[in-house]
Amino acid sequence: MTSGATQEDTRTEAVSRLADPWVTIVWNDPVNLMSYVSYVFESYFGYPEAKARRLMLQVHHEGRAVVSTGPKERMEVDVQAMHGFGLWATMQQSDAPAAAGEGA
Amino acid sequence: MSPFRATPAGYVATWEPVEREVLARVARDVAGLLSADSGLPDDATEAEVAFTGVARVPRDPAVQRLLPDAHREDADVAAEFRHLTQTDLAAGKVARLHRFAETVDPVEEPVTDAGDGDQVLVGRDAAQDFAAALTDVRLVLGERLGLDDDADVERLHHEVLSGFGPDDADTDADTDADAADGDTGSDELDPEQRVYWGGVFVAAGFAQESLMDELLAELRARRAGQ
Repeated sequence: MTSGATQEDTRTEAVSRLADPWVTIVWNDPVNLMSYVSYVFESYFGYPEAKARRLMLQVHHEGRAVVSTGPKERMEVDVQAMHGFGLWATMQQSDAPAAAGEGA
Repeated sequence: MSPFRATPAGYVATWEPVEREVLARVARDVAGLLSADSGLPDDATEAEVAFTGVARVPRDPAVQRLLPDAHREDADVAAEFRHLTQTDLAAGKVARLHRFAETVDPVEEPVTDAGDGDQVLVGRDAAQDFAAALTDVRLVLGERLGLDDDADVERLHHEVLSGFGPDDADTDADTDADAADGDTGSDELDPEQRVYWGGVFVAAGFAQESLMDELLAELRARRAGQ
């Protein structure tokens, strides 16, 4: 990923975070395969391979990652989908401490 | 057990009869555990339970992992989410686990034709559910085996792959019954049970990993072609 792409990506996420007060967080677990988590991020969210991989590695190494941002009702849909896939996901308001680190 | 490979008909792997039988049985066991502990009524169809099921917080830690709290601090948000989603989620998982079991070890037509090999064929439309059922099976086994971090998983792989062949699965009659006796934590698994269930965990992971390689490759090729 080029630095230009990274800046644009970060700016987009920062803007949406202001408008949408909730986030979906996926937490690390030792059982789920990295390939499976990548597949879920690519197939369900439609993220490009590079973004899905970055989020998957962030979950793996940092213990959690914000995987989507939006209104609470939308986050309920995403969390339910993640639980359906067997991923450990929670939602919370985006200004809560654990939501920090998005786009890192 | 051979890795899954993409074919025109779907994804195909070769599993030994004991692998098919054991993985089907554990999937059906997980389905039963999930039904009972999430408050689903017995023998209900997916559509029925969506209206009649009463969501309650599961008692079994393995079922809690399959149906976790949706909010870490706000109990009201977690409870509301559970009320709205748990019966659908649990019923979907139960149905998926039964379809998985039927695919690998059909009740009506057990695979007996030696000439047919022991092929497991997963259709493209069914592959995501098949992989997700493997995830739920592995999550429950992982909880029973006390796999709390990556080091635990690595240690288990080492134990299973060093010196314990598939022949040890023949002792399953006893260990299986003991382990199925209920809410035994990982601390209560004796070494024999640990090796047995560890072997099932590793085999399920091997199957899922090879299936995900194929699913990811096809998903990326499809998206690149759009």
